[in-house]
Amino acid sequence: MRHVIFRVEKERYGLPLSAVREVVVPPERFTRVPRAPLAITGVMNLRGRVVTVVELRQLLSLPEGPTPPGRVVLLDRGRRDLGLLVTDVDGIEAVERVSTAPGKMTPAIRGVARLGGLGVTVLDPEGLDAAVVALFTHSK
Amino acid sequence: MTMDMSRYLGLFISEATDHLEALGRDLVELERESSSSAVDSMFRHAHSVKGMASSMGFEPIAIVAHRVEDLVDAVRQDRGCLDRDLVDLLLTAADTMLAQVRAVAEGKPPDDSAALLTQLSQRVTTMTGHAPAATRVAKVTALKPEGGGPDGTDPDGPGGGSGGSGGGSGTGSDGSGGAGSGSGPTGGAGGASPGGGTSGGAGSGSGPTATGASPGSTHGGGAAGSGGDGGVGTGGSSASPGVTSGPGASTTSSAPSSPDGAPGGVVLPLNARRASDAPGAGAEAPSPDLAHSLKAAAGAPLPETLAQRWAVRLRIAPTCQVPGVRAFLVHKRLTNLGTLVDLRPALEELKAGRIPDGNIQLELETPAGEAGIHAALKNVAEVEVLSVKPAVAAPVVQPALVPVPDGARAPADTASRTVRVRTELLDYFLDTVGELMLATARLREVGKVLPENTRPALEEGVYRLHTLVKDLHDKVMTARMTPLSLITDRLPRAARDIARRKEREVDLVITGAEIELDRAILEELSDPLLHLLRNCIDHGLEAPEDRAAAKKGPRGRVLVAVKRARDRVIIELEDDGRGMDPAKLKNAAVSRGLLSAEAAARMTDREAFMLSCLPGVSTAKDITDISGRGVGMDAVKRVVENVGGTLEIDSERGRGTRFTLRLPLTVAVVHLLLVEVGAEVFGLPIAKVVGATEADGESLSRSRETALLPHGNSLLPVHALDALVGVPAPRRQGTRPFVVMDGDSGRVALEVDRLLGQEEVVLKPLSRPLDLLPGLSGVTILGSGRPVFILDVPRLLSA
Amino acid sequence: MAKRVLVVDDAIFMRNMIKDIFASGGFEVVGEAANGLEAVEKYKELKPDLTTMDIVMPFKSGIEATREIIKADSSAVVIMCSALGQESLVMEAIEAGASDFIVKPFRAEDVLAVVKKVLGET
Repeated sequence: MRHVIFRVEKERYGLPLSAVREVVVPPERFTRVPRAPLAITGVMNLRGRVVTVVELRQLLSLPEGPTPPGRVVLLDRGRRDLGLLVTDVDGIEAVERVSTAPGKMTPAIRGVARLGGLGVTVLDPEGLDAAVVALFTHSK
Repeated sequence: MTMDMSRYLGLFISEATDHLEALGRDLVELERESSSSAVDSMFRHAHSVKGMASSMGFEPIAIVAHRVEDLVDAVRQDRGCLDRDLVDLLLTAADTMLAQVRAVAEGKPPDDSAALLTQLSQRVTTMTGHAPAATRVAKVTALKPEGGGPDGTDPDGPGGGSGGSGGGSGTGSDGSGGAGSGSGPTGGAGGASPGGGTSGGAGSGSGPTATGASPGSTHGGGAAGSGGDGGVGTGGSSASPGVTSGPGASTTSSAPSSPDGAPGGVVLPLNARRASDAPGAGAEAPSPDLAHSLKAAAGAPLPETLAQRWAVRLRIAPTCQVPGVRAFLVHKRLTNLGTLVDLRPALEELKAGRIPDGNIQLELETPAGEAGIHAALKNVAEVEVLSVKPAVAAPVVQPALVPVPDGARAPADTASRTVRVRTELLDYFLDTVGELMLATARLREVGKVLPENTRPALEEGVYRLHTLVKDLHDKVMTARMTPLSLITDRLPRAARDIARRKEREVDLVITGAEIELDRAILEELSDPLLHLLRNCIDHGLEAPEDRAAAKKGPRGRVLVAVKRARDRVIIELEDDGRGMDPAKLKNAAVSRGLLSAEAAARMTDREAFMLSCLPGVSTAKDITDISGRGVGMDAVKRVVENVGGTLEIDSERGRGTRFTLRLPLTVAVVHLLLVEVGAEVFGLPIAKVVGATEADGESLSRSRETALLPHGNSLLPVHALDALVGVPAPRRQGTRPFVVMDGDSGRVALEVDRLLGQEEVVLKPLSRPLDLLPGLSGVTILGSGRPVFILDVPRLLSA
Repeated sequence: MAKRVLVVDDAIFMRNMIKDIFASGGFEVVGEAANGLEAVEKYKELKPDLTTMDIVMPFKSGIEATREIIKADSSAVVIMCSALGQESLVMEAIEAGASDFIVKPFRAEDVLAVVKKVLGET
């Protein structure tokens, strides 16, 4: 299945192509969301739609790195406008044989796969969605 | 000579669909509770569809409609004969006609449904004791004065399958004279059209069709066509008033004055129709009497159906001093004759004398005929009748579509004020108005950098533009509001079908269906509501024996309650069934790896109920074809949230389950005070703002930690907005602005960095996950393109 | 035979003028009334072919009188005499059953044209 491959720092992640609407460059500044969890970078105006952008690094509780995020991966979730802030997008690749990732059982992660000899963590769109919602419901 | 019927196709499709859906609803209602009004209403629906379909030349639809009409008529005679099988048959017929209409909409010829027709005919025969009559819609040619004889009218022509039933306008070619079609009492119809121009295609439908006569060869259009052709050739204008004086005339002329004459005049006086059946009764099963019947039928001026519709054009003399009154007089005269179904300019315009060049166009349904119309206007001064022509009996616009306040009584009023608008167009209007508002805001921004002396002119213009756009937006929003009944009307039928398949008994009660919602939201909700209903009946309600064991009545009960709560509409779907089991839901979620056991253990019951909305979680062991079809609870939840709503589930074991949908009414415009805090801008609803003031924050008195701002005679508690919303802001020094607002427990003062001014914006509902945050009432995009949140201050303070 | 006319107006001046107009047109003015009450009585008594009716009159308005006359005789031909600016009242009268109307100030030929039209004499 074809996946959009992107990175958070050096780590590679994939999302099914069907789950990604588009990839955009983040705006100069995001509008901050009052009382939002830390992982929420803010909202941006995408052609008249207000898109909530979440920093993937924080969502997955990854350590902070030196590279500023350079892309927003917009999920195709009906009218739920959600974007993932990532370091960069590598491209679209076919990813087969996803196996369960040891020790990384969160709904957002479907498993791991090999791609060009390197590992890629395959994310689950519904799980990501649920993880974002969980941020809002449990962080208070 | 032929007439392009295709321009009526859209209206036919939407009107016929409405009628057929209503027919289904009536049936379900009738099965539950015998009421004569439902029977009458069913009859009208079937009759309307028959008339429209035959006008359009869609014979197969007209025939089915006619049979349904027959059966409903029989039910009216004897309510007792309405059993489940008959309801099933009639529902099937309604569904079949809907499918036929859909086919037509897709440019395909409607299926002739021979099998169904056979069933319907048999049922008619068993119920009435005689075979069904041919579908005689308008026997125009029989009335041709010079034709005299029953030429071309042979209603039995079973072999005449000329394919007249083919799609759309194509039929126009084979018939004529049929303008009379659905209308005919005047019969003069076809004959009356001088140029014959209008009589083209209409006729195809209207000819006496052999239809019922031979279910196998239903394309009676052939017969119709031939009859019609006769009409074309001679269709002479010689229709004299005398035509209407035939034996049947008296019956029909009573039509318009029928006391319960129903809005729009669609209602057919039942006695008229009954009379009509008589002559044609023998047509179906050829008998020795056939020839005799035919003769009788041919000689009689069309007792069947409604008044003929006439298109009238007239002009008020330019010398007339009070054209408005003159036009009103004309209106009065014509409404005395029959039912005005179209009037341009509209009555209000006419009365106000706004009549461009004195020209008035109208369509009138009247049995009085052309001569009657001329006679009614003959004695009116300063009016010139330019033309009176038969008009195609396009279906009357349902006045119910847009309810006119105060129950406007004149059908003409509603007809002239009501129009169907394609929903895409409404969407387009809304989008465009939204962009207009943005553009206006942008213009205002631009104006701020202009030199002082050029600004007033621009600002004035912008102000005017703004007012107009705002007004337009309000109108568009109003036009988009649609009662919930648009979708809840389908539920009783669905409930019946689901319950019947599951062999359950269910009472469905719907309240508040008149409450309105934005159409876009409504349309999204149709499938989710249906799914929830399925869920209630299929999974919620127990089998009758289980209910008995639980000491419940054998009939399950599903309540759909729509309520309005401030700016939200709440829809509750509640059953009195077995309830949901949170433990089972948790187990299912855990076993599917959607949830850890620990997380499951921490979950409240309410949270557990929501697990049913995760894909793949279902407690029902039997995934039946009913609930297991297509959409699941996850889809329901997604749709509800996508339109800016929320879904909650409450359940009690053994008592039942309640789904609560909270939905935004619409996309609204709000008036904001924009304030700046740190680098952020927020909107405060002006409605809640009492005022703004400046003060030196350091000099304020304090009570414990809270600073107090003197305002009027009182001291208001001060809240720093940056702290309240959790955004960083530089430390403020010296004088700063405070916004005084109404809170839930008295006024409060909000400390901000800067007041940016007022703005009117289109409020966007918060999509998930933003709607989970307390203290936000929406978001908007400013003229600069910047998204700005609108704060719900009371909730910010309390959360 | 000349058509018989009842002229209703509270102003004698107007009544006279209308009478003259009718006379010039070959009509016979068979009666006059100065208010609505009188108009209804006179109508019942005289059964004229045509009644001209002022709108604003004492005791009973022309609209009310028209309504009663029509109630008593649905074939009655009542022509309202109105001034510009009374459009809504005329419409009310039409609702009440008035056959037509003429607008003050009258011109003889206009009045006769309307009347003849209404009586089907053209």
